[in-house]
Amino acid sequence: MKLIRPRRKLLVFEISRREKDLLFEILRLYPLVPPAHQRLSKTAATGRLNEHQRLLEEALAAQRAENRKHILALLDEPGRFETAPNGLLLKISRSEADWLLQVLNDVRVGSWITLGAPDTEAGEKIPLNEETAPHVRSMEIAGAFESVLLDALTGRQTS
Amino acid sequence: MAATAAPEVRPGVDREEETDSRTDLEPGYLVICWNDPVNLMDYVTHVFQVVFGWKRQKAERHMLQVHNQGKSVLTRESLEKAEFYVHQLQRYTLHATMERDQG
Repeated sequence: MKLIRPRRKLLVFEISRREKDLLFEILRLYPLVPPAHQRLSKTAATGRLNEHQRLLEEALAAQRAENRKHILALLDEPGRFETAPNGLLLKISRSEADWLLQVLNDVRVGSWITLGAPDTEAGEKIPLNEETAPHVRSMEIAGAFESVLLDALTGRQTS
Repeated sequence: MAATAAPEVRPGVDREEETDSRTDLEPGYLVICWNDPVNLMDYVTHVFQVVFGWKRQKAERHMLQVHNQGKSVLTRESLEKAEFYVHQLQRYTLHATMERDQG
């Protein structure tokens, strides 16, 4: 997937059919991060903040349900993908790209949590086996799509 | 959410709630982003820019602080605003919390 036309509002990417299938495969996994994973505070656990925590979880769950509903509908819209000589053209607005980033990152972080949230920066290794491989794959593919979108949003080109 | 002070003044519990509300309106909460090994550095910078409206340079400075020092205090706000920002950051699956400013 490669940005070919950066415009003020619309981003046009060249994407192969294989990449499109991968993108849909990853998006179908959403949401992966459990709402209870997010804590409002590390230290405070008073009754009032517990109530706020509950509200935060409800809000995140509602937002994810809404995202889930729209996610594949958005990409299935007529004109979203157009046939091109080297595959397909994907057209998305900058705000849609930002929204896709949120969704892809949920899959990336959720896969990492499923893997036991390994601290790879501290040298912890992710064991690669039949059980972990699909999650490592989802994490890496989501990250790769994120990088392309981030480069497009910040005006950097990718190959 | 923080309750606003009721116009009617009554003794006892209500007075205590009023004190809480006043405290809630003071910028006594720190919005902190914590390091994790999974969020991409460019992604974190992007989220800071979107959520706080910061220029790239400032967003990158905070991202690097998160990465190198384990956390960065992003802003100091009232309870309600801090909660709003934490919610925004968590929508992007960043590891963000709000803590009482003990300083």
